[in-house]
Amino acid sequence: MKKTLSVLNELKEKGLIKDYAIGGAIAALRWTEPFFTEDLDIFIILEKEPDEKGLIVLSPIYEYLGSRGYGRKEHWVIIEGVPVDIFPADPLEKEAIEEAEEVEYEGVKTKVIVPEYLIALFLRAGRGKDLRKVEMLLEQCEIDKERLQKILHQYGLYDKFKEFEGKRYGRGAEDPYW
Amino acid sequence: MEEEPRILIGDKVVSRRDLFQEEERARKERGKLSFEEKIRILVRLQELAHNWGRRKDAIIWKI
Repeated sequence: MKKTLSVLNELKEKGLIKDYAIGGAIAALRWTEPFFTEDLDIFIILEKEPDEKGLIVLSPIYEYLGSRGYGRKEHWVIIEGVPVDIFPADPLEKEAIEEAEEVEYEGVKTKVIVPEYLIALFLRAGRGKDLRKVEMLLEQCEIDKERLQKILHQYGLYDKFKEFEGKRYGRGAEDPYW
Repeated sequence: MEEEPRILIGDKVVSRRDLFQEEERARKERGKLSFEEKIRILVRLQELAHNWGRRKDAIIWKI
């Protein structure tokens, strides 16, 4: 993991990406109790905007990783034994990267998306496993409710959150968040 | 109303509700472990899934 993060930092140092942050289950796990997952989701901001055809070009990143001996397996690239999924960031994810917390993992600097943005991202993804993580984050770590509310409104996810809350806690239940 | 069953653990009598509350508290405590420790636990979970949990395809991270 430490070496994996060092390689990801190299992508930034080499100018292949502008910035990145850990998202997905590993980011959630940073804030909750440990749980099983298999891969490391990385959200990246590219140096270059999409080309004139609107195509997001990740080839230089994969070429660089390939030249370092990191091959692909299914949808992952295996970096130092860790399966990594690389996602080019959309506007919500870009903001999540910019607002991510800088942390150290065994002395290697990295960034982890904070719970308020993770909740918005998992809610947007909306699969069962995503919603279970929303639940874990709400129940196991401190949430800046004002910040979460702002993000949900900004990205049109507030109604989805209320729907989730209604299903999870019952429509008649006292509103546990705001 | 049916009385909630009491459970004797060691010299302590608790209810199921007490156990659930204790479980919640322990979850929050585990949430405060360091990132490194959580990743070490994750790898142990991956090993369990692979060796014991019918997940021969589970990838075990090298950390």
